[in-house]
Amino acid sequence: MVKKKQKQKIVLPPALPPEISEDEIEVSDEDLQFVNENRDYAGFVSRLDTDTITRHVSRVADLEGDDLEAAYEKRLGRKSQQKQEEEVRLQVDPVDALPVKTLDGKLYYRTLSNTSEKSENGRDADDEKDDSGADKGIVRLTKAERRAKLKKSKKEAKKQGKELGKTEEVQETPQAAVLAKVKEDLTAEEVFENKKLKLAELGIALLADPESNIKTLKEMLQFCKDDHAIVKLALLSLLAVFKDIIPGYRIRLPTEKELEMKVSKDVKKLRYHESTLLSAYKVYLQKLMVLEKRSKYQHVAVRCICTLLEAAPHFNFCENLLGAVVENIGSSDDVIRKLCCATIKSLFTSEGKHGGQATVEAVRLIADHVKAHDCQLHPDSVEVLLSLSFDEDLGKAEEEDKENKFRNKKSKKRKNNEEPSQLQENDRKKSRKELLTKMREEVAADYKAAAFTTDVKEQKRMQSETLSAVFETYFRILKHTMLSTTDSPEANDNLVANATGAHPLLAPCLNGLGKFSHLIDLDYIGDLMNYLKKLAGGDTNSNSSSERSSKYLTVSERLQCCIVAFKVMKSNLDALNVDLQGFFVLLYNLILEYRPGRDQGEVLAEALKIMLCEDRQHDMQKAAAFVKRLATFSLCFGSAESMAALVTLKYLLQKNVKCRNLLENDAGGGSVSGFVAKYQPYASDPNLSGALASVLWELNLLCKHYHPAVSTMASSISSMSTSHNQVYLSSISPQQAFTDLSLERELLNPKYDIRKSNSKRKKGSSKMTGGIDSSLDTSSADEDELKKKLSDHFVLLRDFKENGRLRSELERTTLALQLYDEYKKQKKKMSKNDRK
Amino acid sequence: MGETESASYLEDNNSEGALSVQNREIHIELEKKIKKLDRLKEKDPEFSNFLDSNKNRLKVSMDEENEISDEDESSDDGRELVNENGTATEMSMLLYTSAVDSLRHLVTEQQNVSAFTRLLNGYRAACHYGTESSNVLKDDLTFSKILMFVLHEADNIFRKLLGIQCSNERKDVILELKDTAKWKKLKPLIKSYLRSTLFFLNEVSDSEILAFTLTRLKASIIFFAAFPHLLQRLIKTSIHLWATGEGTLSLHSFLIIREVAAVFNSDCFDICLVKAYKAFISRCKFVEPVIFKRILFLKNSFVELCSLDVQKSSNKATVSIQQLAKILQLGLRTKKKEAVKKICSWQYANCIELWIAFISVNIHDYDLQPLLYMIIQIINGVAVLFPGPRYLPLRVKCVQWLNHLSSSSGVFIPVASLALDVLEYKIGKGGSKPGKDFNFSSAIKLPKHWLKSGNFQEECVFSAIELLAVHFAQWSYHISFPELATIPVICLRKFHEMTTTESSQRLVKRFIDQVEQNIEFVRKRRDEVAFSPRDQQSVESFLQLEKGSGNVPFTQYYRSVIEKSASRNLLTKKNTSYLELKKSKRKRQHSNNNVDVTVNGEVDYD
Repeated sequence: MVKKKQKQKIVLPPALPPEISEDEIEVSDEDLQFVNENRDYAGFVSRLDTDTITRHVSRVADLEGDDLEAAYEKRLGRKSQQKQEEEVRLQVDPVDALPVKTLDGKLYYRTLSNTSEKSENGRDADDEKDDSGADKGIVRLTKAERRAKLKKSKKEAKKQGKELGKTEEVQETPQAAVLAKVKEDLTAEEVFENKKLKLAELGIALLADPESNIKTLKEMLQFCKDDHAIVKLALLSLLAVFKDIIPGYRIRLPTEKELEMKVSKDVKKLRYHESTLLSAYKVYLQKLMVLEKRSKYQHVAVRCICTLLEAAPHFNFCENLLGAVVENIGSSDDVIRKLCCATIKSLFTSEGKHGGQATVEAVRLIADHVKAHDCQLHPDSVEVLLSLSFDEDLGKAEEEDKENKFRNKKSKKRKNNEEPSQLQENDRKKSRKELLTKMREEVAADYKAAAFTTDVKEQKRMQSETLSAVFETYFRILKHTMLSTTDSPEANDNLVANATGAHPLLAPCLNGLGKFSHLIDLDYIGDLMNYLKKLAGGDTNSNSSSERSSKYLTVSERLQCCIVAFKVMKSNLDALNVDLQGFFVLLYNLILEYRPGRDQGEVLAEALKIMLCEDRQHDMQKAAAFVKRLATFSLCFGSAESMAALVTLKYLLQKNVKCRNLLENDAGGGSVSGFVAKYQPYASDPNLSGALASVLWELNLLCKHYHPAVSTMASSISSMSTSHNQVYLSSISPQQAFTDLSLERELLNPKYDIRKSNSKRKKGSSKMTGGIDSSLDTSSADEDELKKKLSDHFVLLRDFKENGRLRSELERTTLALQLYDEYKKQKKKMSKNDRK
Repeated sequence: MGETESASYLEDNNSEGALSVQNREIHIELEKKIKKLDRLKEKDPEFSNFLDSNKNRLKVSMDEENEISDEDESSDDGRELVNENGTATEMSMLLYTSAVDSLRHLVTEQQNVSAFTRLLNGYRAACHYGTESSNVLKDDLTFSKILMFVLHEADNIFRKLLGIQCSNERKDVILELKDTAKWKKLKPLIKSYLRSTLFFLNEVSDSEILAFTLTRLKASIIFFAAFPHLLQRLIKTSIHLWATGEGTLSLHSFLIIREVAAVFNSDCFDICLVKAYKAFISRCKFVEPVIFKRILFLKNSFVELCSLDVQKSSNKATVSIQQLAKILQLGLRTKKKEAVKKICSWQYANCIELWIAFISVNIHDYDLQPLLYMIIQIINGVAVLFPGPRYLPLRVKCVQWLNHLSSSSGVFIPVASLALDVLEYKIGKGGSKPGKDFNFSSAIKLPKHWLKSGNFQEECVFSAIELLAVHFAQWSYHISFPELATIPVICLRKFHEMTTTESSQRLVKRFIDQVEQNIEFVRKRRDEVAFSPRDQQSVESFLQLEKGSGNVPFTQYYRSVIEKSASRNLLTKKNTSYLELKKSKRKRQHSNNNVDVTVNGEVDYD
């Protein structure tokens, strides 16, 4: 009854009543009278649980602003908690109702303690509630976890209430026997619950006042040595606590000398606090490192490590954390790997938190990791490097600074020159001034150090360190790929099927090289180019073994190599002069090996764009060869590939006026035909193909292409004029063309609006596809047979009908016969009756 | 009790049907029991009284049950005619053979309407025989006579009475007549005839009777103009028979459908088309060599139906093809198992094939470019979605479809890379042990064990060569042929170097030689011309003369490859009859003079 009413009260907290203390409430006489008159109805007033109501109301009313909001948020949890609390009270009640026999044999009715206990109980639970709320607020974990935690805290509250009641009871009644009995009753589960409770309590206390409760960390750590479930909880709780109380600076433990020095009480306290925290943290981390190795706790441990690293990359022992994270970056477990990668990425992107130190460290560790695993890792582990960002203006700004300084000095000098007399005048003054400035500088330096802003030089150093580690990783991967493909072409015959699997790191490595191509040290570029060329598959001429070895890389990967090479060259254009001819030869042949389903068309399109459209050389022979090859290519492949090729082709023709001779059937190729007089379609070198002597007959067939876009493109190319230079360049890139025409997109929104199309008859011919009705003329031929069949049909139907009729008849007759028996019985009865 | 009557029936009829034997047994037992009962009755007259009172109760309940169920079945066909005609008394009269003959005479000689009415009543009873308890007909001769006569002559008589010419097959005639007195008089009769016939269609299962009835209904199809409700039933029935029936029956039903679609174009064409399409879809889920011919027939007939009104049917085709595209898109995007499974099925393949047939038949006369484009994209998508070696049959089919479309529409569809993919299927070196016999043509996906067999390698090479041969044959006289063949030749050369099997090496080598010959031929002729690629007209006329004569060695080679592939496919189809093989050969001989046409034929047969 009470419970019910209370529940209602809590569910609907109306507008909060004004903050008036109970004494201030004036009960008018009329009110009293009314209550007295209607005692029956007003009876509930006396039974109201004022305790709860006032608690509830005052609690909310006390809070203001944000607190109020938080209070409302908590309310939901509280509701249920209070409900449970009630349950607890109900559970406790029957126990209390029984008298307790003391050792002296007296029966002890605990009527008095009951109420006090209740109130105490309520208060405790209250505290707990509060704390659990705070707990919730701090530990921002995943939703599911939060939910689980909520549940747990509820349970905790419940159990705590119970337990408190019991302990209190124990305290109140000194009887040891009862205590033992009660303790025995606690099952293993309850022990677990108690531990949980204790854990929560400790954590909350720590969060509430870290300075004074720092010792409890050790206590909490004790839980980590327990069994399965509680360890997880302990780890997570500690994680929450550490996340909150770790200071924003790195703790340096005092040296012996410093310890000897006399310090104030505050400093002492601080020192104690710091050292305790640090040692606890150390123990915690050690525990984590141990647990991370055990599969049972791996997920939890890794999550803790990642969260800690993300939250406190500046703090002590960050290197250990980093090490653990990098160790797991290539884990085969998806969850762990994703977590670690995300952590590393966030380290890279938010360098402000740790001043870049952690970045350098992480990259270095990744490099070592890759080295240790011989490049056999998950691609994700290298892909994280892509989210690195390098500040290119770093060096420049410094230089500017230098210049400025220089200028300042100059001006100063000038100044000095201008006013030498003044200087001479007051030497003493000057020296004082100098002293002052010196002081100022010192202070500034101190401030700088304290303010944790690394200077440009330091940043630059770190950046270059990072870069060198990154490129070391990339080069290692390239080298490894190359070695594995060239050294043992025979050994991995069976690897053919999963070519990408053999070089898992190559793709992200190439991407990275492409992205950071402008940062590559010039000294390495020569080597890099050689690697790429070899990987792309053309280190030796038509040597069969090399050909076989290059098979282990897919066409896409080889194209990617070419693309990277060109990107590198483009971003370092001024600096070097490497011959890219080889890559053109490669591309010229790679085009032929492309297969639509197997290889990525996007890569091909990108290669076409970067290598052909953006090429700055004007080599007519080469351009013509590619024009011819692309035209041929588009005769064999799907519309998207064709379109990409045609776009490139058009671009090449627009850029190279003389190549437009290919559009004309000029006898003998005219004056432009190079030293190869006849076109060699099977040549593997574009320069030796003699494409200038050919004619682009392909366009005629392409005009008949089923795809309207391709056919219009082809006809527009064939109508290009040879004579004057067209200024207009097509704006669409091969990549764009490829994606525009890719199948998935085409299916989604077809070029034609089919519904509108008119499918009117083009010609007047009214041909019918005969063949079907010519073959039948069966109507009259077998009339007799038909008749016979019809009569058969009739007989069948009649028999069927007859069958049904006969059956029912039979049934009826049988029934009649059965009735006869009945009749006889009746008759007997009747005769009996008659006799009677 | 009519026991004596039934006894006489049984004695009359000495047919050997299982039912009649059973009937006789039951009858004997019945007689025994009746005799026993009679004896009891005689012995104890009181019992007979008692029996009467009780039996009535029993009998009533039984009869009631029967009646209720009867009423349910008979539905709207039941009693209407009686009311309409007002000749109920006549109807209940027994019809004997002699009476039927005389009535026939009256009707044919004098166009006696009342006699005809009686006949039609008899006809109705005959059609409903077995489902209704009327005793108009007493023997099988009368039954068949009435049915045959009415089915045969009703149409003519109606036409004579209404004054419509036999050859007139326009529904307007009926609609014009609608208000005349003549029509009003005859309307119930016509309705009764049509309705009874439709009812009869649902009752009979013998295909010949069905076929005959359908032909007669076809003759009087214009009368349906007045009864749209019956027309719907006719469509439904005939589509069902078209999809499920065998041989001629299916054919006759289709003729009805086509007739309906032609005569009632404005109202019923769409319905016919949609229903036929649905029926087709539900019938083509599996392809076995046995039902292969049927599906082919269904497909051809459906295309013919579509060709009646290309405008309308291309709208339907658009909707259907877009649906196919949507399914494919889902498959491409999600790669989920169910979606992919849906695409790699005979149903999907048959649908594509159906519309390909429709497009290729009509593309010359109509502007079906958008449909053509869509279906090509879908086929390309299917080919890309299933790259694995296990899907070899599907891939081959896709390329065949593309070749077929290309040759019928004259557009250029690049298939070389799709065909060359087949050569690059890499299977573990399982060895060359001959695999189990496997029907290549009736599968869309190969069983795993087959991949390791030597047959598979061979099949790949064969398929690639055949597909390329068809492709090249089409463009062998085109000015761009040398370029078209460049990349395939490069690939084939590489394959030739790599392959270890001697037979396929030889095959490929021969193919390369022929293609190079072709290339050389075209190039030489091309060098002689003076026009540029820009000059489309001259390009079109290039080598057209030579194409007509077609006696160049490489053309003959292509032809031989294509023919061989056809016969090869036929051989693998173990279950197909010898007759079919012969037929297809004949067909090929017919169209031998033109390679392209042959190609069409082959694609149909795959």
